[in-house]
Amino acid sequence: MAEYIRVSALNALARRVLDNCEPLNNLIICGEISNFTRHSKSGHLYFTLKDEQASVKTVMFRDKARLLGFAPQNGMLVLVYGRATLYERDGAFQVYAEYMRPFGAGAAQMAFDALRKKLESEGLFDPARKRPLPPMPAYIGVVTSKTGAALQDVRNVISRRWPLTRLLLAPVNVQGLEAEQSILDGIRALDADPRPELILVTRGGGSKEDLWVFNSERIARAVSKCRKPVVSAVGHEIDYTILDYVADLRAPTPSAAAEVCVPDMRQVRQNLFILGQNIQKNIQSRFQMCYNNLNALAPQRTLTAQKAALEERWQNLQELTASIRSASTSQLRQKGDTLVHAAVVAESLNPYGVLARGYAIIRDKNGRCRTVSQLKVGQTFTLQGHDAAARCTVDQVDHLSPEETDESTQEL
Amino acid sequence: MKAPKNFEEGVARLQEILRQMQDESTTLDKSVKLYAEAAQLIAYCNTTLEQAKLQIEEIDAAMTKETAGE
Repeated sequence: MAEYIRVSALNALARRVLDNCEPLNNLIICGEISNFTRHSKSGHLYFTLKDEQASVKTVMFRDKARLLGFAPQNGMLVLVYGRATLYERDGAFQVYAEYMRPFGAGAAQMAFDALRKKLESEGLFDPARKRPLPPMPAYIGVVTSKTGAALQDVRNVISRRWPLTRLLLAPVNVQGLEAEQSILDGIRALDADPRPELILVTRGGGSKEDLWVFNSERIARAVSKCRKPVVSAVGHEIDYTILDYVADLRAPTPSAAAEVCVPDMRQVRQNLFILGQNIQKNIQSRFQMCYNNLNALAPQRTLTAQKAALEERWQNLQELTASIRSASTSQLRQKGDTLVHAAVVAESLNPYGVLARGYAIIRDKNGRCRTVSQLKVGQTFTLQGHDAAARCTVDQVDHLSPEETDESTQEL
Repeated sequence: MKAPKNFEEGVARLQEILRQMQDESTTLDKSVKLYAEAAQLIAYCNTTLEQAKLQIEEIDAAMTKETAGE
């Protein structure tokens, strides 16, 4: 039977050989990152380095990865510092990276362009997708570093322009390996929170590697799925990131982003003033219009009123005339009646009337009426009757007793 | 008059008041009432602007991460 060894012995042997190979222990490898994953629990990075002809598995442990100044991305050309040996369990030849950095701006730019093209072809940058920002947001979600200059700039600008709004800060790492996940969490948390009406993702200026995390495909996709509008402001004017393309609005700097997120208080004050003036003018012209209408009506109303008054007085006059007329007529008739009555009475009392019935009046020589008892013996008098008078002389005067008088009266 | 919830609602109501006042079918009586309401709203809005001070709150993104999902 031939001599054999176990798999573990083989791998141990191979590893020993490789470990003793000095060049493998101090390598600088140039390659493009692919199949990049960051183990969610351990924090170790696993990826494949490749060039046109070959590839090699690579691992970077958490404590080393934490020191990275940029977020590795698929398609990024990097220089990896480390050693290569065999991973005994799997018999896999792999690189243990101590440190790495992007290799050449051109390479990074190529990766950037590739991702941009890919997302663009998926329609993530479509202008039709861009949503308008709320004109006066009550809450703005801010994804940035709690200690960064960007937050300071945003605070200053918003305090000055529109302090009515509230900032809801999702403090994140904007740099290093943790940055991508941290920013993702921040965006998702703010999108899930009911308060913010828009989300501002920002950080101040830095090197291209510092800003590289904002070219993350995962962040781009998370932003494209946001229910709320997202404003991006990363670095300076000249820095464009994938986030800028996918965001609803890209601002050149954190300060500029703060400006576009809120209205200008002076402008709003001015608008409020104009609105108040318009309302004031409106009520004034309304009043003026009412007065004018009233004034236009006034002469006509006076005329009508005067006509009515005249009419009424005319009526009164008519009635008064009629009543005066009827009153005077009835009074005249009444007086006439009285007169007729009085005439009748007067007629009945006319002493001459009695004469017709055979009575006579005694008159002295002066024509005065005398009673019989006044006559003296020998006196002459005239006895006047109805249609004749007689001259007489008194022979004797006999004064009669009351009984005789009564009797004679009765007889009469 | 119902007090506005916030500045924005106050301004929106003012714009609505102006629109109603410009409508010729609005009676003078109603216009006068709207005018009184507008005066109060403008005072409210100005006071709100004068007293406003930027407030900052914080959200712990890592806490909500679990529910937000990956």
